[in-house]
Amino acid sequence: MAHYKPILDETPLVSEGTSFKEITEIVSRVTEQKAPRLWWILFVLSVSGTGILGGTIGYLLWTGIGVWGNNSPVAWAWDITNFVWWIGIGHAGTLISAVLYLFRQYWRTAINRFSEAMTIFAVICALLFPTIHTGRPWFIYYPLPIPNQMNMWPNFKSPLLWDVFAVSTYFTVSLLFWYVGLVPDFATLRDRAKNKIRKWIYGFVALGWRGSNRHWSNYERAYLILAALSTPLVLSVHSVVSFDFATSVEPGWHTTIFPPYFVAGAVFSGFAMVMTLLLIARTVYGMHDLVRIRHLELMNKIMLTTGTLVGYAYGMEFLIAWYSGNPYEKYVFINRATGDYWWAYWSMISCNVISPQLFWFKKIRRSIPAMFVISIVINIGMWFERFVIIVTSLHNDYLPSAWGNFTPTLFDITTFLGSLGLFFTAFLLFLRWMPMIAIAEVKMVIPQADPHHHPEGDDHGHDHDDEDEEDGHADLEPALAEE
Amino acid sequence: MTKRQAYDLPEAPDRPAIWRTLEEKNDPGKRAREAVEETGVQLGSLLPSDSLVGRRSFFKVTGATAAAVGLSGCLRRPAEQILPYSRAPEYTLPGISLHYATSMSHRGDAVGLLVESHEGRPTKIEGNPDHPRSAGATDAAIQGRILDLYDNDRSGQVTNGESDASWSDWDTFWREKATALERAGGRGLRVLAAPSDSPSFLRARAALIARFPEARVHHYAPVGYDNIREGTRLAFGAYLTPQVNYENAKRVVALDSDFLSGEPGAIVAARAFADARRVRSASDDMNRLYVVEGTLTVTGMNADHRLRLAPSKVDGYLRALAKHIGAAPNVPMPPAVTRAVASAEAPAGVPEAWIAKVADDLLQHRGESVITVGHRQPPHVHALAHAINMALGNAGPVVGFYPAADPEETAGIAELVEAMNEGDVSTLVILGGNPVYDAPADLGFAAALERVEATVHLADRPDETSAACMWHLPMTHELESWGDHRAADGTVSIQQPLIAPIRGGRSAAEVLAQMGGIRGWRGYHLVRGTMRAGVGPDLLDRLWRRSLHRGVVIGLPRLRPRTPPLADADVATALGEAPAAGEGWEAVFLPSYQVFDGSQANNAWLLEMPDPVTKIVWDNAAYVSPASAESLGVSNGDMLTIAAEGGEVSVPAFVLPGHADEVVTLPLGFGRTAAGSQGDGVGFDVYPLRTSDAMGFRTGVSVRAGSGTHTLVQTQDHHSMEGRPLAIDATLEEYKERPDFTQWPDHGGEPTPSLGPLWTQVDYSQPRQPAHGGTSYSLMPEDNQPRPDAPPRYKWGYVIDLTTCTGCSACVVACQAENNITTVGKRQVQLGREMHWMRLDRYFVGDDEANPQVALQPVGCQHCEEAPCENVCPVNATAHSPEGLNDMAYNRCIGTRYCMNNCPYKVRRFNFLDYYGDIPQTRRMQFNPNVTVRMRGVMEKCSYCVQRIQAARIEARRRTTVDEQGEISETRITAADVVPACAQACPSQAITFGDLNDTGSEVHRLAHLDRRYSLLAQVGTQPRTTYLGKLRNPNSEMV
Repeated sequence: MAHYKPILDETPLVSEGTSFKEITEIVSRVTEQKAPRLWWILFVLSVSGTGILGGTIGYLLWTGIGVWGNNSPVAWAWDITNFVWWIGIGHAGTLISAVLYLFRQYWRTAINRFSEAMTIFAVICALLFPTIHTGRPWFIYYPLPIPNQMNMWPNFKSPLLWDVFAVSTYFTVSLLFWYVGLVPDFATLRDRAKNKIRKWIYGFVALGWRGSNRHWSNYERAYLILAALSTPLVLSVHSVVSFDFATSVEPGWHTTIFPPYFVAGAVFSGFAMVMTLLLIARTVYGMHDLVRIRHLELMNKIMLTTGTLVGYAYGMEFLIAWYSGNPYEKYVFINRATGDYWWAYWSMISCNVISPQLFWFKKIRRSIPAMFVISIVINIGMWFERFVIIVTSLHNDYLPSAWGNFTPTLFDITTFLGSLGLFFTAFLLFLRWMPMIAIAEVKMVIPQADPHHHPEGDDHGHDHDDEDEEDGHADLEPALAEE
Repeated sequence: MTKRQAYDLPEAPDRPAIWRTLEEKNDPGKRAREAVEETGVQLGSLLPSDSLVGRRSFFKVTGATAAAVGLSGCLRRPAEQILPYSRAPEYTLPGISLHYATSMSHRGDAVGLLVESHEGRPTKIEGNPDHPRSAGATDAAIQGRILDLYDNDRSGQVTNGESDASWSDWDTFWREKATALERAGGRGLRVLAAPSDSPSFLRARAALIARFPEARVHHYAPVGYDNIREGTRLAFGAYLTPQVNYENAKRVVALDSDFLSGEPGAIVAARAFADARRVRSASDDMNRLYVVEGTLTVTGMNADHRLRLAPSKVDGYLRALAKHIGAAPNVPMPPAVTRAVASAEAPAGVPEAWIAKVADDLLQHRGESVITVGHRQPPHVHALAHAINMALGNAGPVVGFYPAADPEETAGIAELVEAMNEGDVSTLVILGGNPVYDAPADLGFAAALERVEATVHLADRPDETSAACMWHLPMTHELESWGDHRAADGTVSIQQPLIAPIRGGRSAAEVLAQMGGIRGWRGYHLVRGTMRAGVGPDLLDRLWRRSLHRGVVIGLPRLRPRTPPLADADVATALGEAPAAGEGWEAVFLPSYQVFDGSQANNAWLLEMPDPVTKIVWDNAAYVSPASAESLGVSNGDMLTIAAEGGEVSVPAFVLPGHADEVVTLPLGFGRTAAGSQGDGVGFDVYPLRTSDAMGFRTGVSVRAGSGTHTLVQTQDHHSMEGRPLAIDATLEEYKERPDFTQWPDHGGEPTPSLGPLWTQVDYSQPRQPAHGGTSYSLMPEDNQPRPDAPPRYKWGYVIDLTTCTGCSACVVACQAENNITTVGKRQVQLGREMHWMRLDRYFVGDDEANPQVALQPVGCQHCEEAPCENVCPVNATAHSPEGLNDMAYNRCIGTRYCMNNCPYKVRRFNFLDYYGDIPQTRRMQFNPNVTVRMRGVMEKCSYCVQRIQAARIEARRRTTVDEQGEISETRITAADVVPACAQACPSQAITFGDLNDTGSEVHRLAHLDRRYSLLAQVGTQPRTTYLGKLRNPNSEMV
């Protein structure tokens, strides 16, 4: 990784004076000390949510998906809404990790680990839904191209099959990307470990990382390749998810704007979710030096951009519905805004289009309470967006005789809340046991990482702390920087 | 029935012992003994007592039971042994269904049936195309009768008071009773039965009266046709059955008459009426239907002109019409009747055109028009209609009169209750029916019943009346017992049983014959005896088998319709004496389209069949017009209290466009308390409001908003087409102007655009299929050259004529019976999860909200050539067959429901829950073995009855021959070989199925008519189902 050089008087990405050691200390201690009380409270809540999810899924598998409110014509409802929502949230991870990496956006280092973890957990939650929403989940392997005695292939024309490939590819690459990034940091934790079990476990997952030049060289290559691999995925996953709708014949779904519109929406919601999580973790664990207001402001700018893009897409859909002269299409859109589900539509508009516009104001862009609230509002809005697209298109389509409405049941709600529980459980465990900020990467962007940086009082490179192995590989960095 | 013993397997010869465990080797008999003990749990009493004694064996048995219980949870299929036939019963080939001709008495007429039987169990009722009257058609209620056969709530137990008894107890009781009664000449003996058209029943009745001269047989049916009967007696002095040849009627005026679905002979009428509007080209003519009615009925939905009028005012309307017609020159109106209607004024609110223009139209169509009056109207209205029909020269070509099946004057339930109250009745035998539930409320039947010493009720289930009677005798189903029925035109058909009574029982005719002392009272002998009397003993044996085979008794003299002279003075007197129409609100008692009078109230198919008019399921409601609802301040589901002298009912309101103001329609047959597991507590009982002098409608009722609400569930919530070209209609004149009006749905705009796909499509019109079967397109270009030996290709298609579809919903239930479609119950329908493969869309059209026109459209799977559902299924569970059918592979389906979303017609049905659950054994007997019973989580939809296509294919292959040169002469499947269930049942023959590749076929001809169209053609799905645009024939002078 090349080094970050601040342009002119740009604010540094890490609070001035933060040393390599401090960075290691700030991040690593979270996994070494006792968990704070707030962590336990959140963990208990999340695990309860996971339990509710388990119970709901058990009941669902036993009884059939009729326990949800899905019906004819609304055959997909909260199940696929949740799926698309979670996939969308899972989007920011790769964008931050890969795209921003390739574009040399160094500020990503403070948030990439976070967002990658969020991606993994969100995709797990997302994958849950297509699995349990099928009528016979015990045959969920049918869409996989497994040679079988029936001589049957899956239907390669079906967007659902494309989904299977797109999402599983995305999950695999994201997992690898995340894990590769974690290896040097696991090694740091291993080296700091004070008991055998920790040493053994972190040693195992660190894959024998010793911080040699060769290791770093391979690491950087792998990271770059994975970044290049996952960059198209950022665009493809949500485009493919949008094909579920775009390739259908349903008015309100059958539209070419969906791929870019879905990608923009996904980035939008992903950033919002990263923001929500980051603000909590930053406050709880005191990461102010590493995650600075500047990072948050940059993220808010991205949300402002994508939110505006999404708003443009909403407007464009209406325009095309009118311009196409297709009466069915026109009806669906008028029905969205004024029909039985008008409240969902206007919730979506106010949350997704109006609320991010507040980020035009620098004060709001830099206000932590404001951005926290807006990030949650955006996530709610993005959930409504998927609900609006799915339910309002289906409930009144071609034949008025077949029209019908959808009402969620208790189990729709518990499945959704339960998936949040699962997500937060996984995320809290991640916070507790893994370095939540990429230690090695952050070190590369601090001023001291520049070989020509010799400010006064900087003791880097002179003061060897025998107990801290970490400094050892910090020493190697100038050499790497030559690449 | 064979008395052959079950085949015993011979003892296995000595051979080396086969053992699985050492324990077993040492004690080879152990497993066999344990097996015996295991079955001993179920059949304990059959085993020698010592096999169950002792601690060890007790524990073995309980252990085995526990193991069996445990195992049954894991095993997918329980281990059951079957034995093949060692000598098969005659004609029974496993997998090959047999059809037996039988018949059924249905709403005042006999219907010829062909019943499909699989290995001895009847599974599906179809019409008998050879029956001269019903000609193969059925309706929803008949389709539902097969489910009644396997109803688990039917009784099989004779009871006497609180205790169980047997048939021999009853026989003994009756023998003793009869002796006592004979001494008294039968004094005190009364029988109550439904009016019957069965010659055997009438013979038994005569025998009873001969044996007990003082006894009387009373007839009562909650929905009876006494008014029609009395109308003919008033007009002609004899009981006759009017018979309208609608195919000859160019103008039909239906007065409170639901002749297409609710009157006697509706099945025949629907077909004949449709025959007169089967427009095939712009030069064809079609009939015109005027309907005057209070509630919106199936007939009203098909009207070209419809007048909303309270039923009590129909009398006044007909008088005004009669006056107008009588005033025309050269109309031989009988003088006394003319005088009687001379001062008639049209009721308030009837537009002048409805008298003058309708009369003119009728006058212009003398001898080819008809005025038909419904069963709710009093006899004098019927008599007046007969008089007008005769004056217009319609009697003969259009209306004929046959002698009534029961020519005698009979006593009704009112006379019976009177006698009961006076203590004249010591023994009352009720044969069928449920008078405690459905007798007129003013009679107090239940109270009077308590005064009778001995009460006997023959019924198919222990219902409300059985509970109030001393004896309950189980009654057989039509498919379990012998019988005979005389149709309105005098055709007698035999009802032959297809199965031995599942729960035992006797038919009403049998019990009556037994009481009458007929020696051969068992059904078979009774029916044969009746036929012997008809055809003579010499011909009996020769004709019997042929009659059974055809389903119609051969050798009886054919009746000719006649028109006796009109009793002018009597009719005029009756017209003069008739009370004037009442004021204020009136209540109309409508036989429910679902459960009729309540006799089929436990039939889940019928309860879940959407009412053809309101689309309500699992309920009845009080229908009111939009204006009345507004004045009452109620909307759908708000409770209404309808009160009249002596009774009050609370029924939820339902706002029905097209309903007359200040009229409330109350469908009968709901609110049963002892119907069974399905029907109990469904809907609201409105019989308490019905009195013996107001069986059809009751004037002077008070209607007010009650308290509370009730959830009414409809399968269709939205009743406007939203201006979309779905059920496309035009008037006959518009059609003549632009025969392809369906292609121009917005009248003068662009023709419906339809884009083809980007890929090369398979041409299903090729006579032979290509080498590689054929989905509609493929990722790989494939060789479409047909193999020289490829089998002939068919291109199946439907044509549905919206002009002749009446919306009666027979197809919905027929499809349910054929395809093992489950019912889901009210709550699931409310959630939008009904499973019907065929649904009948009903739209209100026109500007007048109070009296809209109706467009009906049956919609099942359209079997699109470019099916949107197929593309999106990730697992290929729904795919194109080589013949272009859109097939479902249930065991491949994982239930993503994507296909359901992507179906623009929303005809796919998903098993959201395990709707069938644990199916009782008797219920399972109904299942069509050629159709998979779907499990939960699986998508299903109309298959075009692919099992019937396959059966026809097998038959055609079987007939295909190879001659000596090796030349194959193939037998093609013809349209007659494959008739899907819906097309088979359709009384008006609106559905045509066949091979679109066969240019000579009817379906090919219809699919190329000028008014054809595809539903949602612009989506590009290219459906195989073609609709023919609906034609209306309004009177240009009345528009």
